[in-house]
Order: sequence, then C-alpha cells, then structure tokens
Amino acid sequence: MKTTRYIAALVGIIILFAIGLELFFLFSAGYGDGLEKTLEKAGVEEGEPFFRAPLDYGDDYASAFLAGIVGFTLLFILAYAVGRFVIARRAA
Amino acid sequence: MHIPDGLMWPALLGIGWIISVGAVWYALRKTRLTLARERIPLMALLGAGIFVAQMLNFPIGGGTTGHLVGAALATIVLGFAPAVLVLALILIVQALLFGDGGVTALGLNMLNMAVIGCGVARAIYGRSSDSGKHLAAIVAGWAAVLAGALACAVELGASYWASGGSYGIPMAIALPSMLGYHALIGVGEGLLTSGIILYLHQVLPEIFASPRGQLA
Repeated sequence: MKTTRYIAALVGIIILFAIGLELFFLFSAGYGDGLEKTLEKAGVEEGEPFFRAPLDYGDDYASAFLAGIVGFTLLFILAYAVGRFVIARRAA
Repeated sequence: MHIPDGLMWPALLGIGWIISVGAVWYALRKTRLTLARERIPLMALLGAGIFVAQMLNFPIGGGTTGHLVGAALATIVLGFAPAVLVLALILIVQALLFGDGGVTALGLNMLNMAVIGCGVARAIYGRSSDSGKHLAAIVAGWAAVLAGALACAVELGASYWASGGSYGIPMAIALPSMLGYHALIGVGEGLLTSGIILYLHQVLPEIFASPRGQLA
C-alpha cells in the first residue's frame, strides 16, 4: 500500500472520529455501557481506581477529540514499533 | 465492557494475568513467524482506528450504550496473533493513560476482549466459505462481543461466589444482564465489522490477498 493511501486512510479515520464524536455527545454521552448497567442493576458502585491515570476522555467535545487524537497517534506509533520489533527479532 | 479495579476477586485477577500474559507471549512468537513487513503499517492503522472507534459509544436503547470492540475486525484483516497484540496494546493504553479499565483488571480485560474475542472471531470467520464471508463477518463480530460478555459475567459470578459476596455480583444477575445487553451491542459490532470489511474489500483488496499472517 502506498504512503499516500495510508495518509488518506489516517485523515479519513480522524474525520469519521470527529463526526462520530459529535453523534456520541448528541445521543449517548450520559449513558452507561452494558457492564456499567449490569453493576447498576446489582447495586454495585465503582470503587476508587488502584492507579490514577494521567488523562481521561474528557467531558466535552474538544477534550474528547484531543484525547482521541493523542490515543490514535500513540496507538499508531506503539503498534508500528511492536510490529518492527517483532520483525527485527525474526531477522536476528 | 472494561472491568474496573476492585470489582473482581483478587485471585481471579491473578488468573486473568497469567492466561493473558501467556496468550500475548504466544501471539508475539506467532506474529514473529507470520507477519509480513509490508503489513506493519496496516497493523498500526487498525490499532489507531480501533482505539478511536472504542471511544464512540452508540445507544442501544434503555439508556445503555455499546461501542465497537474491534476484535473480529482486527482478526479478519490481520489474523489472530497480530490481532491479539493490537487489542492488548489498545487495552494497555486505555488503562494506563486514560483510566479506562482497571490496571489490576487488565489481565481479565485482555482475556475477555483480546484473547477470547479474537479467538471466537477466528473460529467463526476461519470456517466460513468464500461466498459467506460477509455474513461470517457479521456473526464473528456479534459472537466475539457476546463471548467476551459471557466470560465477564462468569468472572463476576465466580468472584461473588468465591469471595462470599465481597467481590463481583451474583451469577443470576450477571449472566442474563450481560448477555442481554451485549447481544444487542454485538449486532452493532457485527454490522460495523462487516461494513468496514466490505469497504476494505472495495478499496484495498490486496490486504486480504496476502496469505502471510492471514488468520494466523
């Protein structure tokens, strides 16, 4: 796959993310997921986390978009690095 | 479906860590043998794309949401072993950087979403005929989510039973509730997975033609 097609795919994903995030804040930002609703049914409240993460997904569009871009970039770099590391180990 | 800290029986957390570290180790070794160099950018692109897709919760009714897990998508495009690595990386970043899923529960989250999710998707999609690939992608997406939810429900029930009620929740609540919600969430997962696979078949057919790494 040529580099230009990868760049187009990356830009495409970011645009879809920007649109999807808008829909998320319009329709579902306040709702819990399947596990959270199950815990709610059982009367269990989420306790304090063992480890306090430095970031979160944010409560508004701008901060969630920023968190998405940070995670997107980090995952791309990490997955690429792991792939290269694995291939290098094969060559070694 | 990300399990937080403090919910599961500690011994079960340890079992989750042992199984998932073993599975990730296997996936690393298998990927080393099968991953073609030209597929590394694709692996990175999918990892990044699935991360942002997991942030976009869609409503399934009754004030409940679900999101794409991506285990079936990653397995169909990359193969089982690289898909487990990609999903494990996503879960590690979510837990350590964004507090999505507990750090102590990372082993169980990797087991449920990466190992079981990708394993079920591989079993279903790998057995499908060429003419039934798109239906198989829908079923694989749905079943991967449901299998992960089933595992999570069993872990919740087992934690409750083993700890005498200090951890987890009763199986009688966990099982029907988790399966009920995720049977619906899985429909979204299946349709999204199939739609993305269909799109990729149109624009990048060559990524499905490579025998190396495919469903490895």
